[in-house]
Amino acid sequence: MLGPSVLVLATFFVAPLALAVRDSLTSWDLLSPPVYVGLANYARLVASGELAALVGRTLQFALVVVSLSMSLGLALALALNRPGRLVAFVRSAVFSAYVVSWVSVALLWMWLLDADQGVFAAGARALGLGRVGFLTDPGVARLTLAVVTVWKITGFSMVVFLVGLQDVPRDLLEAASLDGAGAWARFRHVTWPLLRPTAAFVGTTSLIASFQAFDVVRVMTQGGPVKATTLLVYAIYEQVFLDLRVGRASALTVVFFALLSGLSMLQLWLMRGRGGRA
Amino acid sequence: MRGSSRRAFVAGASLALAGCGRAVGGGRQRATLWFAYGGKNREVLLSLVARFNASQARYQVTPTYQGDYFECLAKTRTAIYAGVAPTFTHVVGEVRPYLAGAGVLEPLDDYPGASTLGLVPALSQRGSYTGADDQPLWAVPFNRSTPLLYCNAAALDAAALSPPESWDELVAAASRLTTRDGAHTTRWGYEVPIDWWFFCASLAQAGGSLLDATGSLSLGGDAGARALRLWQRLIHDERSMRPPPGRDYNAWQATNQDFLAGRAAMVCTSTAFLRYMEENARFSVRAARLAGLVRRAVPTGGTFFTVLRGAPPAEKEAAWAFLRFMCETPQAIEWATRTGYLPVTEDAVATLRRSGHYERSPNDAVAQAQLGDAVGWPWSRELFRVQREIVTPRLEAAVLQNLDAARVIADARREAAAG
Amino acid sequence: MRPARAVANLLTLLAAGLWLFPYLWMVSTSLRPLSEIVAGELSFWPRAPTVEAYREVARTLPLLRQLAVTSAAAVAIALSQIAFALPAGYALAKLEFTGRRLVFGLVLACLLIPGQATFVPVFTLLARARLVNTFPALVLPFAVSAFGTFLVRQAMLAVPDSVLEAARLDGAGEITILTRILAPMVRPTLVSLFLLSFVFHWNDYFWPLVATTDDTWRTLPLGVALFREQGTGVRWHLVMAANVILSLPALALFSVAQRHLLRAVAGSVK
Repeated sequence: MLGPSVLVLATFFVAPLALAVRDSLTSWDLLSPPVYVGLANYARLVASGELAALVGRTLQFALVVVSLSMSLGLALALALNRPGRLVAFVRSAVFSAYVVSWVSVALLWMWLLDADQGVFAAGARALGLGRVGFLTDPGVARLTLAVVTVWKITGFSMVVFLVGLQDVPRDLLEAASLDGAGAWARFRHVTWPLLRPTAAFVGTTSLIASFQAFDVVRVMTQGGPVKATTLLVYAIYEQVFLDLRVGRASALTVVFFALLSGLSMLQLWLMRGRGGRA
Repeated sequence: MRGSSRRAFVAGASLALAGCGRAVGGGRQRATLWFAYGGKNREVLLSLVARFNASQARYQVTPTYQGDYFECLAKTRTAIYAGVAPTFTHVVGEVRPYLAGAGVLEPLDDYPGASTLGLVPALSQRGSYTGADDQPLWAVPFNRSTPLLYCNAAALDAAALSPPESWDELVAAASRLTTRDGAHTTRWGYEVPIDWWFFCASLAQAGGSLLDATGSLSLGGDAGARALRLWQRLIHDERSMRPPPGRDYNAWQATNQDFLAGRAAMVCTSTAFLRYMEENARFSVRAARLAGLVRRAVPTGGTFFTVLRGAPPAEKEAAWAFLRFMCETPQAIEWATRTGYLPVTEDAVATLRRSGHYERSPNDAVAQAQLGDAVGWPWSRELFRVQREIVTPRLEAAVLQNLDAARVIADARREAAAG
Repeated sequence: MRPARAVANLLTLLAAGLWLFPYLWMVSTSLRPLSEIVAGELSFWPRAPTVEAYREVARTLPLLRQLAVTSAAAVAIALSQIAFALPAGYALAKLEFTGRRLVFGLVLACLLIPGQATFVPVFTLLARARLVNTFPALVLPFAVSAFGTFLVRQAMLAVPDSVLEAARLDGAGEITILTRILAPMVRPTLVSLFLLSFVFHWNDYFWPLVATTDDTWRTLPLGVALFREQGTGVRWHLVMAANVILSLPALALFSVAQRHLLRAVAGSVK
């Protein structure tokens, strides 16, 4: 019963990791035979500062995405946690972005943010902000991709928070209300403590997801301008498919996996408090 | 158009259903071609492929679009490894020494008629590289181009300017042509993609060459730094040049759009866009040779057809038949005149000259004349890595962030030396 | 009470604007002629609405083929994941055997390995097997889902052992128990798994980008992204028309199966 599953999982998940470790010790361009180079690829990643820059950019991107999508998702969950067809429609609209493909979302926002003909650029000009290169200014582009990612995934965190809110007993809130607690006090002392495990889940899930960001980069900026949006996974892709540096890409892959494992451990550890629901 | 795309779809679908059938209906020998154009160039190429397929009954070329040059090249290399490569494709000049060295290209010398294609020397493999005289024939020129200066004639005339001949004139003209509305620039004097190709043009104009006499990367030394400083000066000091946004060919598209929309009075981009610019501009387009510093110089660009060694011999034969077809005068002329690429055979050029084409299309005459300024690429396996990994990643930062040009060049040389 | 309600209403309004406007603008752009795009019209309604953009997209893109490939791959993956997850989940939840903890550990570990960490070696593996740019290349790497196996196992844990014992007493074999008794009981989980998997792979861009090399097996997201790259320049009305075509099926599925999808996402949390 298990055999086939184990076989496929081993072939497409476990073996590739082992292969990545092996390839990371070589210099290989796919066209000529690989040459064993020891730890040179790792040494170069560290010494050139490339690794630090990549992890730094990815982390920065991830932190913006996580903090914004979590707070927005929570705010929307609180605001939309009530009956009504209109409210239900808005909930659907927010969540729909999560269902639509990344390519759709990326192309759509490329157009909205187009520096010359986009509506947002026109808006910025009308507000006297001048020409904002949302995708072309190295200081802005990464933030832009983060905001687009927030637009895409906030629906997910909202839905998860809505589920969490169902576990907040109504009578507890009503009792607090009778005791004269205002909306903020009720949230602060009743809702939030009960939502904390949910928040930990949403936070770590979106942190892991933003570490895996690729489509948005590939479609919208191809890593530019000036590497501003070259995040980890895009760098791996670029090194294999554009530069044919399989050894270097494999070394990055190994580092990437180690990082993700660390994050997942963090998630499991934070989830432990959820009474076996993880 | 509609019928042909439907036919292509039906053909594709039936092929897929038939497994991986190589020979198609009527026992024709098939060859697959991966190409890298969209828009107008794609239309013209597809029409020529269709003509080839209709002109004879032995061969059938099946074209597939693969993204821009870099994407197409990337796909081709990974496909060679994965055993799903096409019969032939077209690749940029910079990568050919690398591919030839890796042994994945088919030498074409012994194919029938290979020595009598009558190619324009500056555009042929021999004329496009230095130090490649002993190399076998790896490539047949296809869409060849050089950079060209495109001027908005109305803007030039209004400012009583003629196209700049020297860098100083370029800087002066760009400033004169820039218009501002408060802090907002309503028209830029000059625009050029911050790209390797145009950097190489400036570097050569400043008297440098990419490799030094020993064959190691020099990036022109001081000439390279002067090339960077020209852009820095235009962007940061004069604020008369807009660095177009986007990477690789996105920046090229942006440049074209800015020119067509009147947001840039002069742009430097490939001759390939001549027809496109002329047809879509609402003003008269005046082409000019690039300005020089110590000399006039342009690199050649665009691509050559290249046959992949791993393809079955019968497919290679079909590909070769297509390459010869493309080098025949009518096709060479049609491709060149409908797109703006340079005609690749001498007979095509002579025929155009006789027909009065260059009087009717003075911009084409300028592009053709500028071919006299062409400088060759060094035949070096490292050339492509230098482009992708050493120069391209540094250019944007160096120019946009106004870094010390001499230090950028020195860093690049150091990294190249470290391998 | 009142200020909180006002803030909630404001947020609702804001969310409606933020999440609806982009879609509406996409549709409005797709219905414009080129001249309005070039002119940078900012009016919401196209002056001269036309479906020419859709016609041109249909002429340039092999839409039907890409739609067929995309749906076939997504359905094949989703079904395969269910087919593998059922017996594996059953074994992990209900059967005693040595190494069960080890295998469950493997499944959990695979849950943590994203495709982005393995695509390079998976690509070289498929290349060596001469499978790049084939239909199996699109499907095989996802044939088994660690996540799906985990979901099904959790659902089966909730089935009381007494049900299985009763069936065994009636002489039912393991296959019968699995297909006739357990599968119907965990149906909501299977529907969730199908929907999540289908939507994910229908939308997937990364793997088809890596695994395909020509139009034979290109999927729709890939085709549409490539379409923008092929020198469309300012012709955003074409890109948006293609984008409407790409997002419509996902949105339609969402509106039809919204309850299930939301439950699936919520369920994957628990």
